This record gives sequence, C-alpha cells and structure tokens, in this order.
Amino acid sequence: MKITNPRNKRGVGLGLAAALGVSALLAGCSSLEPSTTALPSSTHEYLLTVTRPNHLQVIDMQTDKVVRRCDIPGSFGGQIALSPDNRIAYLLSNGMENLYGLNIETCDLVFSAYQSSNDIRVKTFVSLAVSTDGKELYTVQNPVKLLTDEYRVMSPVLAVFNTADGKDAKPVRSFPVDRRITTIAAAANGEVFLGGGDLQAINPKTGKIRMVSALQNEDRPNWLTPDAFAMFNLGEQANEYILPYVTAEFTDDTMNFETASWWWGMNRVDLATGKNERMEFAPFEFIIFNLVADPNDKNTVYGAFNTLSKHDVKNKKVLGVKDLDHTYYNINISGDGKRLYIGGTSSDISIHDPDSLDKIGSIQLSGDMSTSDLRVAKLTQ
Amino acid sequence: MKHLKSINKKAKLMDQTTDSAELDEVVAMQTVVGCTGVTDPGWEVDPFGGLGSLCQPMESDLYGCADACWWPAQVPDTMNSHPNWGAGVAKVDQDWRKLDGIFPEDDK
Repeated sequence: MKITNPRNKRGVGLGLAAALGVSALLAGCSSLEPSTTALPSSTHEYLLTVTRPNHLQVIDMQTDKVVRRCDIPGSFGGQIALSPDNRIAYLLSNGMENLYGLNIETCDLVFSAYQSSNDIRVKTFVSLAVSTDGKELYTVQNPVKLLTDEYRVMSPVLAVFNTADGKDAKPVRSFPVDRRITTIAAAANGEVFLGGGDLQAINPKTGKIRMVSALQNEDRPNWLTPDAFAMFNLGEQANEYILPYVTAEFTDDTMNFETASWWWGMNRVDLATGKNERMEFAPFEFIIFNLVADPNDKNTVYGAFNTLSKHDVKNKKVLGVKDLDHTYYNINISGDGKRLYIGGTSSDISIHDPDSLDKIGSIQLSGDMSTSDLRVAKLTQ
Repeated sequence: MKHLKSINKKAKLMDQTTDSAELDEVVAMQTVVGCTGVTDPGWEVDPFGGLGSLCQPMESDLYGCADACWWPAQVPDTMNSHPNWGAGVAKVDQDWRKLDGIFPEDDK
C-alpha cells in the first residue's frame, strides 16, 4: 500500500481502527491495518467505497489507510447509503438488483432484499437512500416483465423497505414515479428527492409528488433545456443533495449554438430543510462528473472528472483547475474541509489540498472502483 | 417523436405506416432488462468536439461503461448478460489483456 500523505506520519487517530480491527477479526473478515492506540472520544471519519470483485473498503481518513474490507454478496455493485449513525452501509449490488446492509465495524450482514422475482427483473439505477430516522430504505425500481416473446416494461416505482425487517426484506409500500430517475436523497422533512429529467420530491407515506425544479420540462425563454446528470450518491458532509446540469443561454430566439453561453448549473437541496436552490455557476468549459461542497463554506464547491476544479458559486468564478492523473468519477471531502478525496474508475483514491488543489497523497485499493460511490461515515464513540 | 425527422426512405416509409396514436404507445425503456440507461453517441468525441474530455485512459473507464451498462454496444453488459466478464481482473490497468471479447455460444 503506497501512502504519501504526510498526515500518516503523525500516527494518531488510529484508535477506532484498532477497535474495528478486533471486531473484524472476531467476525472473520479482513482487518488490514489494526492499530494499538487508544480509542478516540470524538467523531472519527471513514471513507467508504466499493472495489472489484465486490468489496466494501473502509478507510481511516486520519491515516488514509484501509482498515477493513468486507465481502459483499453477488456480483459487483457500488452504490452506498448510510444509516443515521453511519454504522450500517446499505449497498446496491449484484447488477443493481440486490440490497445488502453491512455493519462497517464488523462486516456483519444485517439487511438484505432481492428486488427481482421469477419473471420480473428489477434494476435500480443507483437510486438508494435511507430515511433520516433510519427506519426506511428507499429505492427506485425499474421492473421489466420477461415474457417468452417480449420484454414488457412496467412502471418505475419508489419502493419502501423497513430496515428493521433484516434479511430477505420485502417492500412495505411502493408508489409510481417518473422514468429516468437516478440519484435520490431523503430529507429531514420526510420527503425523498428524486433526481431525473426533472428534480421532484415524493412523500414516501402517500406517494404524492411535487415538482421541485423543472429541467426537461422547463420553458425558459432563450435558454436551452437543461440536461441533468447524477450517477453518484454524495453530499453527506454538507447535508445536501446536488443535481448538476448543463444548459446554454442564447443571445436571441434564433437559438444559435455558436454564439450561446454554455453553463454548468445545479440544483442543491438542503436536506435539513428540504429547501432547494438552483443556479448556473460556472462556464461549461470542462467536464464535471460530481460536485461536493466545502462543509464549512457552501459557497465553495469542488468538481472532479479529468480535472479537479474549485468554484465560487455566488460570483460564478472558477477559482482553480488542476489536471488529474487519470479520469476520476467521484469526489468527497473531509469534515474539516482540509482534504479532498477523488475516486471512482481505477484502484487509487487521489487526495488533494483544497487550497492549491495539489495532490498530497493517494490510497491504493485492491481493485477498481468503477462506478462506486465514495462516501464518508462519521462514527461517534 | 414529433422532434424527429425522417431522413431516409425506410424512415419515411415508417412515418407513413404509423399514426400518432400508435406512436404514443411506445414506451421509452429506462432499462432494457436493466440496460441502456442512457443513450450516448460513443467514445468518439467529447461535448466540445475534441478528445480532451473523454475518459483517460480507456482502462479507467472500461468497467464504468460495463457495470452501469453505459455503452453496452462497445463493452459486454456486466449488469445482465455477462456478470462474470471481469472475473479475475480486479484492476483493468494491470490485467486488461485478460479481458476477452464476447462471442455467441453454441447451443448444447
């Protein structure tokens, strides 16, 4: 394992890693970097991602070392949603069909659900969220009935599972939703935000849907219909849900693409209040796959893909752009806002300084992350 | 469909034989048995007409295209039909030579 982050030299903050190591050994899963230091009394952050063939990687964000590697049943899948205490990672696995809940301290399987049945194959295209009270797990199911001579497309639904049902759980409620929904997020007001062609919110008790921000259904004179894109679950550090999009502002109603101003925009939902803000914030000059906000200054956001970029949202300024070693799909940030973690695609997580955007470290993993989420779990002792 | 214009003989013929009521019955499949969540033109050019914003190198993007069924025409569909295509290859940048093409299998 190659670690170049100078923080590693401090040798502090390994306490919980030690606790995790012991419990993991007892549980029979692999503890890669056990420690002997004392338990911390405060919150400790762990970076979670999934690598091939199908492992949940638990990384101590103080040492940037892998402390746990849990086996996930089935073939590869990488979407992660966390319980409110962050101790259970709910995973979408096995070709985006099955759901598993793993205790990240012990690797114990505490929840499972098999969405497909007999002649109906159900796929969940990354849509995975846990209610803020931890009692319910939400997915958007895309069912297809496999008949002898045809595949019959059925209506997508929001499926609601009780997390307390444990293994082999079945949906307790389901409600029709739009097609094309990818990422979803649960807010403290009880709504589940649905990111798709438009941004909507559904009441998971009644199924009532409200339009939060029209995108594909928007009719804004002299603006191109926004094209939203969200394939990764993140935003826990700022407790928000971000749905990026691309649009263009035309000079007149001739809608000339050559003279238009192209913009990155985003909807960002405060998950504490359910309030959404929408804005164009940066010129469309490079690709951003995902955005993450500085949890201490939400006006500053960072984007990643082939470049790492830093943005002043309010003033629509690009504060910096840095080339990355290769394409990375995903990005997250430490709770103190002092380290950026860039992952997805290959088997290395790149660590960057948020001021200079310089690379300050890397974490080598045992397999490729592909389209996996990169999430932060905060464990409080 | 109203935004599509027929440009060849076959498409124009289809226009003539299909009325709007029948077209309304056509349902876009978000998941063709799980696959084809999006329709992208492919790996040829980026949104700016160049190559700089394509995924680099290809090895970093290979599983990302297969696992999410992003471009199933170019890579095997690991979400549905070929879940074991990458078996034994945890890191594509090291072991890409072991990833073989997919060929029809004879009926037994």
